[in-house]
Amino acid sequence: MSSDATVGIVLVSHSAALAEGAAELAAQISGGTVNIIPAGGTDDGRLGTSAAKVQRAMKLADSGAGVVILPDLGSAVLTVRALLGEAGDLPTRVELADAPFVEGVVAATVTAAGGGDITAVLAAAQEARHARKL
Amino acid sequence: MPASYEQAITLTGDLHARPAGALAVAAAKFSSALSLTVGASSADAKSVLGVMGLGATSGQHVTVAAEGSDAEEAVATIVAILAEATRVGA
Repeated sequence: MSSDATVGIVLVSHSAALAEGAAELAAQISGGTVNIIPAGGTDDGRLGTSAAKVQRAMKLADSGAGVVILPDLGSAVLTVRALLGEAGDLPTRVELADAPFVEGVVAATVTAAGGGDITAVLAAAQEARHARKL
Repeated sequence: MPASYEQAITLTGDLHARPAGALAVAAAKFSSALSLTVGASSADAKSVLGVMGLGATSGQHVTVAAEGSDAEEAVATIVAILAEATRVGA
C-alpha cells in the first residue's frame, strides 16, 4: 500500500439518484480529491441494490489504501455482506460502515481527503451518528 | 516542543458546509490538537460534522486554539481559511 494513496468510498443505496447526490455533495465538501463511487439502484434501473454494481464500484474506488462502504438501509447491508462473504480474494481491505448515510459519507470523505487511513475513515463514518445537527 | 496558541476571528459571513470541509481537511494535516470555540460551543477542527454543528454565523467571534508542536502554523492556517471562506461573496 502506497503511503500517498487515499481511501476510497462506495455508496450503496436503493436509489441511484440518492447515491449519486450523496457522492456529489461529499465530493464538494471534501474538495474533490477522494474516489467516491455511487452504487445505487438495480441493474435495470429500479429501486433496489445490485451486487454487480457494488463490485464494480469497489474496483473503481480502490487506489491502494482500501475502501469503506456505506449502505443506506437494511437490504443494502445484506447485498454488501453477501458480496464480501463470497469474494475471497479482494485486492484491498474493504470495510462496511455502520453509519448514517449523509453525515457518514461527508465525515468519511473529509477524513480520507485529510490523509486518514482506512481505520480513521471507518471511525469517522461511524462516529457521525453522534454528531448533532442543531 | 509542544506549544499552545490561539487566535480569535470575527466571521464576516456564515460558515457553510464547503468551507467547513476545507477547514477540516486542512486541520487534519497538522499534528496539533485543534479546536474552534463559538460562544459556549466547541468543536474539534478536524471533525467536519463538529465544525458544521457549531452553526457559526456572520458577526460571531470564533476562537481557534491549538496545542502541539505545529500549533502556531495550524492556527494561522485555520484562521486564514475562516477569513477567506466567510468573506462576503466567497
